Amino acid sequence: MTSNDCRCVVTGLGVICAVGNNVEETWSNALNSVSGIHKTTSVDTKNCYADLAAEVNCDSLDEIDSPEEKDRASKLCIKAANEALKDANLENFNDDQRVAVIIGSCVGGVLSVEHYHQNGRNANDIPKMPIASIASQVAETCGAGGIVTNVANACAAGTISIALACDLIRSGRADVVIAGGADSFASVPYSGFLSLHALDENGCSPFNHCNGITLGEGAGIVVVESYEHAQKRGAKQYCEVLGSGVTSDAHHITAPREDGLCLTEAMNRAVNNSGIKKSDIGYLNAHGTGTGKNDNAEINAFGKFFAEENPTISVSSTKVMTGHCLGAAGAIEAVFSIKALTTNTVLPTLHYTAEDSEALKAKVGQMDFVQNTPKAKELNCVMSNNVAFGGTNASIIFSKQPGEVVKHEAKNLVVTGIGIVSPLGNSKQAYLDAVKNDAKPASASVQSTITNDDYKELGIKMAFYRKLDNLGQLQTVSGVRALQDANFTVTEDNAKEVGIIVGTSEGGLGSTYDFEELIAEQGNANGSAFKFPHTVYNAAGGYLSICSGIKGYGVTITTGPVSGLDSIGYSMSVINNGPEKAMMATGTDENLPIITEFAQKLNVAADKVVAPFDNADGFVVGDGSVSLMIEEEGYAKSRGAKVYCRALGYGNGRKNVKFGKVSGSGEALDFAINDALKDAGLTAADIDAVCGFADGFKTIDNIEKESLARVFGDRLAALPVFEVKERVGEGRAASATLAAAEAALLLSGEMESDSAYFMANDGSVSKKNVAAAGLNKVLVIAFAAGGSYSAVVFGK
Amino acid sequence: MANEEVKSKLKAFFMSDLGVDGDVLNYDTPLFGEEIGLDSVDSLEIISFVDSNFGVSMTGVGKEPFQSIDTIADFIESHK
Repeated sequence: MTSNDCRCVVTGLGVICAVGNNVEETWSNALNSVSGIHKTTSVDTKNCYADLAAEVNCDSLDEIDSPEEKDRASKLCIKAANEALKDANLENFNDDQRVAVIIGSCVGGVLSVEHYHQNGRNANDIPKMPIASIASQVAETCGAGGIVTNVANACAAGTISIALACDLIRSGRADVVIAGGADSFASVPYSGFLSLHALDENGCSPFNHCNGITLGEGAGIVVVESYEHAQKRGAKQYCEVLGSGVTSDAHHITAPREDGLCLTEAMNRAVNNSGIKKSDIGYLNAHGTGTGKNDNAEINAFGKFFAEENPTISVSSTKVMTGHCLGAAGAIEAVFSIKALTTNTVLPTLHYTAEDSEALKAKVGQMDFVQNTPKAKELNCVMSNNVAFGGTNASIIFSKQPGEVVKHEAKNLVVTGIGIVSPLGNSKQAYLDAVKNDAKPASASVQSTITNDDYKELGIKMAFYRKLDNLGQLQTVSGVRALQDANFTVTEDNAKEVGIIVGTSEGGLGSTYDFEELIAEQGNANGSAFKFPHTVYNAAGGYLSICSGIKGYGVTITTGPVSGLDSIGYSMSVINNGPEKAMMATGTDENLPIITEFAQKLNVAADKVVAPFDNADGFVVGDGSVSLMIEEEGYAKSRGAKVYCRALGYGNGRKNVKFGKVSGSGEALDFAINDALKDAGLTAADIDAVCGFADGFKTIDNIEKESLARVFGDRLAALPVFEVKERVGEGRAASATLAAAEAALLLSGEMESDSAYFMANDGSVSKKNVAAAGLNKVLVIAFAAGGSYSAVVFGK
Repeated sequence: MANEEVKSKLKAFFMSDLGVDGDVLNYDTPLFGEEIGLDSVDSLEIISFVDSNFGVSMTGVGKEPFQSIDTIADFIESHK
């Protein structure tokens, strides 16, 4: 049986969607086979072939603190979170470091993007746009002070959030996680799916007519809690969350693999990680979008997976009720799955005629696709699946019993490959040369530029790279460079043993704005099928998976600049706990003209080139993509890999401030550093250098300076602090990963020296060149708006 | 519009909107072959472009007319 310290239980549920504004109403309507799909009233449908949507009808969304600071997606999420916390009998956590928030989303604050574009380009809209605002504002609302992040894997994001919540609890990093997903219905996704001809004009009909999806909106929240914490406070427990599986198709940016191979692998992982048998699963809440490609791939996968072991499994798609709620889908369906499990009731797929039922039977054989009305069935375990653009597959299991989840021991991890794309050039060597030449940003807004020569050198074909948007270009080149630097060849045999975590601050926000401009000018009927996939934040990671053939874990996280370090920390956790032997941890952000415009409007962009600790009122806006290959030491050694350094520890801290702000949150950086040191089994005295996040903007630089002074005390005056942003500007997640790459290059000796900053006791800062030779342990730190900080320790 | 002008417009569209490198794109180059690598998403864009620029619907016409710039231009010519 799963040991108590590995058990994760559900103690609270919250939901808002087209069939209800809370769990009770939603469940009651679901039992009555109510569909929330109607003619849309919120977007322009002129000349559009489909005009249905499943919209939320709720007039109390603004009954929260500062509603004017929040996008509809955040408001939906906060409503569901408040319900779930009340259900769990939990109140404000007062920045408790053991409480985390993980929210999945696909389009995030897209309504605020639309509002900005069409209503005078008001700076107040900008902090509401990125997906990162959602989890941050949920955390701010309930005072969660632990890991606060968003999963941006489009339609699988809600499921992955709950999976990640369990990973955090099982690795001892949280006691309570508010996990789920949120998305709102808006013109961009509506027009995008229209352009793909993926909307069903008659309303979605999963596993039946399969003519397309119908978009919905909403939020689902599951309070996941460690069993021991829930027991201690006498909490009501709905069920256990057992294992999960996340894989990548490495196939196509929008279409799933027809054979369902990697979805099957995700289901396999979920079952294996749960320690249950396939026959224990009584009900499967399928992704079941209603597109032919998705539904046929799923039927293929289910047939192969359950086969003789569980041929009569009950299956349904609840999207005919809720519509496809994108990043909220997995979370809302998790609530349905948990209610199904605890009430022994399988929800149906609606709108089947007798003729439809016959046709379905011919496709699915003995499998029990429940239709039209709920079915009473004794259930022990329920599986919920979701798949997404970018080729992501996710599967998770809820159970009445604790299962056999195995606790894994921490492994020795090493950095074996580095790929750097920055405004200084598109290779590690270009960066090393820039350091040698003491290069500085050429202007107050600098960009990385990928050319055909890069693709040629890396052997990437035009048939592939022609599809890439700017973010995808940066990501693909840095990722492939890291693989080549690691001398790692992805083969059919090892593809499943390698994964990717992309950290990004703004992800596809620039492409979303681009798409909004297009449809504002040409109408929702004239969106671009070519451009739409780039609006999802995980497209860049998806392209890297397709290009490289990587088929293991594939997740995109977005919390702000800190995501570039979190990708390293989460990758360490994935290798420690999963079947992956190697992970590509990356940080990627772009600087399109609109991104610089946002920074200027927010008064955080410098008007000239500034350096760290210049005490300036803004920073140089930069970009880039930096990828690190991290491997289990034995695996790396067995293939004769070169080792840059060891990845020793990871930690984080949070002190809630408004999303878009950092002032007043600095002590959380102390927590992050101390957490990482503890994880590495070290103390501050063991650290020989820091790779920091100072970018010239005094508000940010002072947080770093003051925290380092508190953590290192008198030692700080002699402690070299390397600042990568003096060369590349504020590249958000890319700069955070670059700081880690700098640490790895120094520890390996490949970078022989670099100029470092020294902070004297009186607060003054001086610079001198420091040789890498004496450095054994290097601390890397990063920040995010809203008050989140992370730290990683690398060592020789 | 002369056939040559249609082809030139199509080529410019493939380069600007679908990211195809003009150096390797001739009028008879297979669009869905390994080199150019168009797929179902691209065909939606072609349909939309042909409809709005030449007033010709290619919805549901099967794969044949999509083979190359030549075949698309021929289809447009014969359906004007």
